[in-house]
Amino acid sequence: MKTDDLIAALSRGVEPASRTELVRRAVLALVAGASLALGLLWLTLGIREDLLAAAVPVALKAAFAALATVGAGFAAVHLARPGGRASSLAAFAAVLVGGLAVAAISLAGLAPGERLGAWLGGGFPSCIVRIPLLSVPVALLLIRAWREAAPTRLALAGTAIGALAGGLAAIVYSLYCPIDSVAFVATWYGVGIGLSAAVGALLGTRLLRW
Amino acid sequence: MADSLDEAQLAAWMRAACDGDGRAQARLLSGLAPRLRAYFRAKGRPPDQAEDLVQETLIAVHTKRALYDVGQPLLPWVLAIARFRLVDAWRREGRFGSPASLDDAPEEALSAEERAPAEASRDLAKLLRLLPEKQRRSIELVKLEERSVAEAAALSGWSESDVKVSAHRGLKALMRLAALGHGGTR
Repeated sequence: MKTDDLIAALSRGVEPASRTELVRRAVLALVAGASLALGLLWLTLGIREDLLAAAVPVALKAAFAALATVGAGFAAVHLARPGGRASSLAAFAAVLVGGLAVAAISLAGLAPGERLGAWLGGGFPSCIVRIPLLSVPVALLLIRAWREAAPTRLALAGTAIGALAGGLAAIVYSLYCPIDSVAFVATWYGVGIGLSAAVGALLGTRLLRW
Repeated sequence: MADSLDEAQLAAWMRAACDGDGRAQARLLSGLAPRLRAYFRAKGRPPDQAEDLVQETLIAVHTKRALYDVGQPLLPWVLAIARFRLVDAWRREGRFGSPASLDDAPEEALSAEERAPAEASRDLAKLLRLLPEKQRRSIELVKLEERSVAEAAALSGWSESDVKVSAHRGLKALMRLAALGHGGTR
């Protein structure tokens, strides 16, 4: 087929472009992904039993994760378009760095003997593994929706999608997580979400091609 | 390049095409093709393979147009798609990384024009046969045989929205097939 014939073919029966279609797909992927993560958490780890009594710390943890989610979401939307830039990830990165600063300030206010326990939550911070695991199904759903858009920087778009999925997973995970220390959450939730972003970059370069 | 079309004119046609104006779409794609041809050849693609990429990019400009933000300039958007198709072609050939030579400014990268088309190395008409029946038939009826969606629906027995959706999906699938290296060389 000659290029001129292709142009003629593409110019026949042109419909108005549907701008809502992509938004619909993205919202659907987010809602389905969040529900899936919630279901997974409920089936595997369960919800913490003192959820109502611990409403304030749970809300604070979820709020920190939500900040990262919003920052990542902004980047993901930007990078869905051709020509998206790396700088759109700055807000997300700022939330993670801000979390580390809050953790440092909070630790500085504690007695030296209490610092390690508050920071590590009395053991290995398993949320840095669980948040990325919880985020994978969400990330796959989001990647499926984003491929319909036209990302051209696949590693960056994958990073943003992974971060978005990690943020959502962390919000959900806060319903289980029994450790409420500020320094713990501000450090390890950020690390968990950051690892999700790294997984997203790996998945993105392979799965986002269109 | 005295008669070279400028950004504002192309963007105006794009806006009209997004509203469903087929003539604006034809002018837009005809305006972009020589720029894309010159771009891919300047990046070292032989003429026939450059033509493949021109065709892939034109299909992408059409199928991804809902993503074009009408407030933004058009050429950088087109260049991002063209560059992506080029890097994707390199990846198929086992070349990795994107050399710094790809970071040229949109207004420069797409300023030259090459008006003499080459024969494409693979034939989209052949690729069309690889599509599922419904997508292939919808594309043939609406895009190749100049029938209205209503006529195509009456002829095929599918609903009008079925025909529209199938034709759109078919075009996207066609580009994926092309990008996966199907269709072979002549």
